[in-house]
Amino acid sequence: MILNYLSLSIILFCLGLLGVISRRNVFTVFMSIELMLNAANLTFVALARLHESMDGHVLALMVMAVAAAEAALALAVVILLHKHKGNLDTNVFSLLRG
Amino acid sequence: MVSTILFSAFSVLAVAGAAGLVLLRHPMNGAMSFIITLISLAGLYALLSAKLIFAIQLIVYAGAIMSLILFIIMFLNIGEKDLPDESSRWYYFAGGAVVIAPMALFLLKVVNRLPGGDTQIVGNGFGSVKEVGKVLFRDWLLPFEIVSILLLVALVGAVVLAGKREERA
Repeated sequence: MILNYLSLSIILFCLGLLGVISRRNVFTVFMSIELMLNAANLTFVALARLHESMDGHVLALMVMAVAAAEAALALAVVILLHKHKGNLDTNVFSLLRG
Repeated sequence: MVSTILFSAFSVLAVAGAAGLVLLRHPMNGAMSFIITLISLAGLYALLSAKLIFAIQLIVYAGAIMSLILFIIMFLNIGEKDLPDESSRWYYFAGGAVVIAPMALFLLKVVNRLPGGDTQIVGNGFGSVKEVGKVLFRDWLLPFEIVSILLLVALVGAVVLAGKREERA
């Protein structure tokens, strides 16, 4: 029963990973990262249900807080990059190249 | 029986939404299908009797974070010409699938070998605000405070970054 939830979480995580490595639109890459965080959350909650302890719920809350902080910062960076480069292509954002 | 049917429906919706996010070209369509994934994940949390996480998933994730992302997508006013040229993305999909599929199959095999997937019926208070709050403020107090500092720093940083004016233009 719980194993089905874990399998679903693995599938969602791999879809997010596929989105990160194969897409070039910065918004899609960002939402794929959120998808991976959500897959991790599903694992936490499913294992908390299996062990009947609520530590997993607290960890899921922490992951959501980190995701909110990440969303706020990443979107500010995206606005700045769009202002500077006028583009949403992740291949254009190569400021660290020597 | 009802829970099995609900689990199947929610998991099919979640995987379909995630596939839409990865496959659709415009980020607005991707965000809309990602919201389907988030809401069906909230349903799965409810099936796992995590009541607080269910509510927070709906309010914070599907509500706050996704509306922030949608607001920024609309703010930047992305048209067809602003999208990066992704005509070769099917090759990237094929290559990525070749890399990821062995890992996914390995993990699925490991997970299905785990012992004891059956669950007992839990008490009425499991996952409620009161019980999770007790665990949060008794065992996880220091991580909770660190997360609050992290949120403060992230918000200040976002305001500083987004409010930056161009002096030299």
